[in-house]
Amino acid sequence: MISNYEKMKKYILQIAGIGLLFSACKTNLEPQLISSGEANFSRFVAVGNSLASGYSDGALTLEGQKNSYPKMLAEQFALAGGGVFKVPYMNEGGGNDGSNNAGRVLGFVTPCNSSIPSLSPILNPKGSTPLNNVAAQGPYNLVAVPGIRAIDANWNLYSLLNPFLNRFVQTPGTSTLLSEAMRINPTFFTLWLGNNDVLGYATEGAPAASANPLVPAISDDVAVKVALTTFVDSLTKFGAKGAIANVPDVTSVPYFTTVPWNSVILTQGKADTLNQLYASLSLPITWTAGANGLLIVDSTQPGFLRKAIDKDLILLTTPGDSIRCGGWGVLPDKPLIDRYVLDKDEVTLVQLATSNYNKSIAELAAAKNLALVDMNAYMRTITSGIVYNGITMNAKFISGGAFSLDGVHPNPRGYALIANEFIRSINAKYKSSIPYVELTKYKGVLFP
Amino acid sequence: MNKKILSFFLACSIFSDNLFAGGSKVGLQGIKQIGMAHTGVGFAQDASTIYFNPAGMSFVINQFVGGMNALIPSTSFLEKGTNITTDATAQVFTPLAAYGQLKLSKRINVGIGAYTPFGSGVMYPAEWTGRYTLTEVSLQTIFIQPTVSFRITDKLSIGGGYIFANGRVNLEKDLPIASSTNSNDAHARLNGDAKGNGYNVGIYYKNDKRFNFGVTYHSEVTMNVDEGTAEFTNIPTALSTTFPAKNTFVTELDLPAEIAVGTSFKLNKRTTFAADFNYTYWKTFDSLGFDYGLNTSSVTDAKSPRLYENAMAFRAGIQYDASRNTQLRVGAFFDQTPIQNGYVSPELPDNDRLGLTAGASFKLEDRLQLDLSIMYQNVFKRTQTNKETGLSGTFHTKVLAPGAGLTWQIRKRTSYAKNY
Repeated sequence: MISNYEKMKKYILQIAGIGLLFSACKTNLEPQLISSGEANFSRFVAVGNSLASGYSDGALTLEGQKNSYPKMLAEQFALAGGGVFKVPYMNEGGGNDGSNNAGRVLGFVTPCNSSIPSLSPILNPKGSTPLNNVAAQGPYNLVAVPGIRAIDANWNLYSLLNPFLNRFVQTPGTSTLLSEAMRINPTFFTLWLGNNDVLGYATEGAPAASANPLVPAISDDVAVKVALTTFVDSLTKFGAKGAIANVPDVTSVPYFTTVPWNSVILTQGKADTLNQLYASLSLPITWTAGANGLLIVDSTQPGFLRKAIDKDLILLTTPGDSIRCGGWGVLPDKPLIDRYVLDKDEVTLVQLATSNYNKSIAELAAAKNLALVDMNAYMRTITSGIVYNGITMNAKFISGGAFSLDGVHPNPRGYALIANEFIRSINAKYKSSIPYVELTKYKGVLFP
Repeated sequence: MNKKILSFFLACSIFSDNLFAGGSKVGLQGIKQIGMAHTGVGFAQDASTIYFNPAGMSFVINQFVGGMNALIPSTSFLEKGTNITTDATAQVFTPLAAYGQLKLSKRINVGIGAYTPFGSGVMYPAEWTGRYTLTEVSLQTIFIQPTVSFRITDKLSIGGGYIFANGRVNLEKDLPIASSTNSNDAHARLNGDAKGNGYNVGIYYKNDKRFNFGVTYHSEVTMNVDEGTAEFTNIPTALSTTFPAKNTFVTELDLPAEIAVGTSFKLNKRTTFAADFNYTYWKTFDSLGFDYGLNTSSVTDAKSPRLYENAMAFRAGIQYDASRNTQLRVGAFFDQTPIQNGYVSPELPDNDRLGLTAGASFKLEDRLQLDLSIMYQNVFKRTQTNKETGLSGTFHTKVLAPGAGLTWQIRKRTSYAKNY
């Protein structure tokens, strides 16, 4: 029996040995080797408008800047030889929309026709953050200015007009978006301009054209092309590589798609009363029981009035209580005015301009051998809805999870989607392998 | 804005993920059998045959056999296009299996078994990239099976047992809902007890000392969770009405039927070879649904597709009688995954797997035997994108399971070895 136990001991040791061998076999998943490929990220400059600045919830905030897609890109580039990335940071607070208003947060508002408070964007109770001047600490790698159009990018006086640019340029009145970008002497750049060349017009509900260059109008396609070409020529003069993004169809963002065009719900009695009123004014508009299009201003129509149709877009800024209780959009003296409506013809103009700009941007990317980031196509996939690691996102206001409370700019999670779109195009063009941003690190809409 | 906007919110199912798979089938029902790649349908060498082939009881002497394994899985995930590797939190599971049998008459043997045929458990670190698909899952089952076998002739027997199945399921994940006042993610937890019934029947043929053959059918067991608890925590106040604090759910988990065919024969005086073939009817697991007690815009009854495919396993092992008191075993198996591409998820990052096993038995006393085993599995790397969650990347799992048990003969026989 003794020898039997000894033998057993020997076998146990052998089995334990096999066990140790097995436990040494850990799972082995090797991450890809990170490489910059043909690109050089050592001096990276990101140029753009509010979208590149991190503008979110209706204001530029420190938090937004930290969650901007260029900052995310810089963090990923840093894994592949990227250098410092200086951001002209704001101070902590509720942010600034350019007119010293704070941004928005979700809060509760009691609608005029109800006693139950409902969830709605409200002004950030932190209050607005004054625009600090940080020019002395420049130059900056994030050269992004809310409100700027492509055609403003090389215009020296613009730095006097736009406080977001004014606060970090070397010499206001002389410096331009381009000259600030060139101070970095970039080896790599991202450029995303052109959105405001249509968006300014569209977000104001397309006011009548004016000779004043500061009143939003759709920028001329040729002017946009010239401005972007000048910009890219300068950036690439010393061999910099880069990525240029095109302009998404702005009319698919929640700013234009949230307020329903047919939100006038009538009973037969109400409709009859309205019809009598309109007949007495000789206005050829009829109301029916059920959902009706909102009454809007249209200079081509008799009485300059018509009912909205499904191709008209009602802007998010339209005061909801005025529609619910003030007779807006129903009574003949209270049509929704131009600034609340992008009518079907204006939508067509906006889409035409977008498509013309994008043609120029694609040509420019090809001519200069740049990565083209097709944000227009990507925006369409978001509109139809995407799922990422169990998070469902689409272009719906608040519930869609990708846009911030201003309905135009993404929230941090939405900006991470944009950063990953840049990375996808850059990796494809420059044979680099920059890892994607971890989207789940960034938050969506914050609920109270 | 009004409440309608909220109603869009998360109008997706809260839980619609994989719960069970080939990997959830625990191949650890007998220490001796594990040593030979978990073969035993055609090799009734101890009372574990109550699981492997109830008819085999007719060829096993009165005894009790029990064992425990320490199941140590290690799972990692590399998200596609990133350099982020997540290692699942280390856990050790200890499934038990115990069987006892008695001879009632020349023809009839009775026995009872308690074992864990299905089970799984994965836990991922907080903040991991797939937390909105899953943070934690565990499934425990225990089957109690009273069994009888009937010896038709000297060479042929049949047997069958009735299965009382008990289980417990726990499923957790974060919800992509962020609060302005609480930095923790919203979290959902579903857990409940499950009950079910089934049976296990077999036929066993032993023509002489050299050749054995058996066929076993394990029936489908539908586990019903009748009073599950659904808990939602860290929900922002503004959304609290859409996530009721106390909620219940009902679900049904179909544990699939399996047919197994096995054989064993002596290669020489000291060496026995055994081989099993298992075919599992996973196709019955085509969807998983949760029916909530309280439905809201965000908590909707959901049924999500699984579309599992039937799967095969091939097992082969060798036992060598090193001495009168010592047996050594080795084995290898190949186990096919039932999960199609597009349906693999963090709950069960499954794939085809290759297993290697070894084991030994030592006689401690005349009637007492110590059984040892070790099983190693490599669940092959699998790269795919889940159709439901979009989680895209590569999973890799390795499993190590050392086990130990005792075999105690109830009545002494003159020649123990004769049983083999």
